[in-house]
Amino acid sequence: MRIPVLFAVFLLSPLTLGQIAPEVLTVETLPEPGPNWFLGKTWSGGAHIFDAHSGEMMGMVSLAKNAPTLIANPDKREIYAAESYMTRETRGTRTDIVAIYDYDNLRTVAEIEVPNHIARLPVKRHLGLLNNGRHLAVLNMNPGHSVSIVDVEDRIFVDEISTPSCAVIMPVAENDFLQVCGDGTLQLIQLDLSGFQQNRERSAVFFNVIDDPVFDRVARSADGWILPTHGGMIYEVSTDDDEILIGEGWSLIAEGEESWRPGGDEFISAHQELGLLYVAMHEGGVDTHHQYGEEIWLFDLETRQRLHRHALEAPVRSLMVTQESNPKLIVSDEAGGTQVFDAVSFRHERSIETPASVHFEDF
Amino acid sequence: MNLEKIVDQTFYWIDENARRSAMALSQKLSRRNFLSRLGMLITGAAAFPLLPVKRAFSQSAVQEVGDPQSCDYWRYCALSGFLCTCCGGSNTSCPPGSQPSPIAWVGTCHNPADGRDYLMSYNDCCGKTECNRCECHNTEGDRPLYFNSNSNTVYWCFGTEDTSYHCTVSMVLGTAD
Repeated sequence: MRIPVLFAVFLLSPLTLGQIAPEVLTVETLPEPGPNWFLGKTWSGGAHIFDAHSGEMMGMVSLAKNAPTLIANPDKREIYAAESYMTRETRGTRTDIVAIYDYDNLRTVAEIEVPNHIARLPVKRHLGLLNNGRHLAVLNMNPGHSVSIVDVEDRIFVDEISTPSCAVIMPVAENDFLQVCGDGTLQLIQLDLSGFQQNRERSAVFFNVIDDPVFDRVARSADGWILPTHGGMIYEVSTDDDEILIGEGWSLIAEGEESWRPGGDEFISAHQELGLLYVAMHEGGVDTHHQYGEEIWLFDLETRQRLHRHALEAPVRSLMVTQESNPKLIVSDEAGGTQVFDAVSFRHERSIETPASVHFEDF
Repeated sequence: MNLEKIVDQTFYWIDENARRSAMALSQKLSRRNFLSRLGMLITGAAAFPLLPVKRAFSQSAVQEVGDPQSCDYWRYCALSGFLCTCCGGSNTSCPPGSQPSPIAWVGTCHNPADGRDYLMSYNDCCGKTECNRCECHNTEGDRPLYFNSNSNTVYWCFGTEDTSYHCTVSMVLGTAD
């Protein structure tokens, strides 16, 4: 008996020794976000999460194709998105929702149905977070303009506020938001603590929509918002309770540079603490406001002086400066790449291979 | 006298008067003179009432120049989207099975063929996946989203059963000058 047993052990031992433990499939959870993480919103649906320091992709949020954008709420470790779905993709019953995603798994943890009026366009300022992150304002177009208010804490739809001829959502103070209107004014909507409209104010006319319209793309400043016009004027706006404050306009364009204009998709961004304004500029005539930028111009918001002109290899579609003390300038180019620059020295740090991002959001 | 006889006598009276008039004319005028005057009368009578109508018809027949499948075609000066002319439709018709949006954005385009400016209506055809052919992005007179009657960024599939975007047509509404 001993000989067969020993023989069997002799035959099997190489197999036993050569075998390794089979690998087990697991699913990552998202690590704690770093200071330079950002979201790259694609046109086709979804947003990639990147670490600008390493250039690594950290995860993805799946979204409906025409979702305007998404907003991260670090305090609650949640991401909010407005999305519109058809039961048969291109046909069938339409259902518009605000979806809430968690940080750990980037999966839907709640859905709130809203009126089927969401403006289905990738625009950053079609969403706004108000009331210390409790209320989400969603821009509608049907084709008249309105705003849906959602309580993301209680997970309920609150109200739809009619805002004819006014669009863009610029949160100010605690529960208020500003809008740009077609008659050349700003509109202030003030909400109560429950998210219902409490007051509405209108500014004096300060621009002409035919001669030189204010863009529907704006940048947040330290105490309000920065509004560019097609012709390169800048208006800094803010509020004081129910008063709308509009600063005296100043021009991005110096004498002799009249052929230059701002333009692109989300082409303007500001570092709030440092008071730096980044604008994608191109050479072109009237009505070239969607043309991608050939250069990025950097301005000091306090002195209104240009600090730098940076020419790019591929035209700029969208850009965003991160808000940390060592900021990065994230640029989406026409070729579909994402470029990361040091936002102060303009040193090119890396290219990130990614499907074209239409715009970026802080994470 | 019954009704039948009255009718017969009336027709006879009309025929007799016509015959006498024709005989009298034939004795006074040559055949060529008669025909030439009759021709002038018919032509004049035909042309006179048609003058304003004819002018109106000539407006709807817009002179065309260029390639309707090219983004620089004159009608597309404020069009952003996929050209229906490349997707089984035309400038005035949606491709098979798609649904024309009753609401549109407008623009004013210069027609180099006749040197006139035309008011254009850009209607989206909806209810199908994006055509993805002949994508154009022209922005003449384009305005921001808060002024959306002149905004080409908007998907104009409002008022249709299915609201997905397929392609865009460009119809002449009238002259702008």
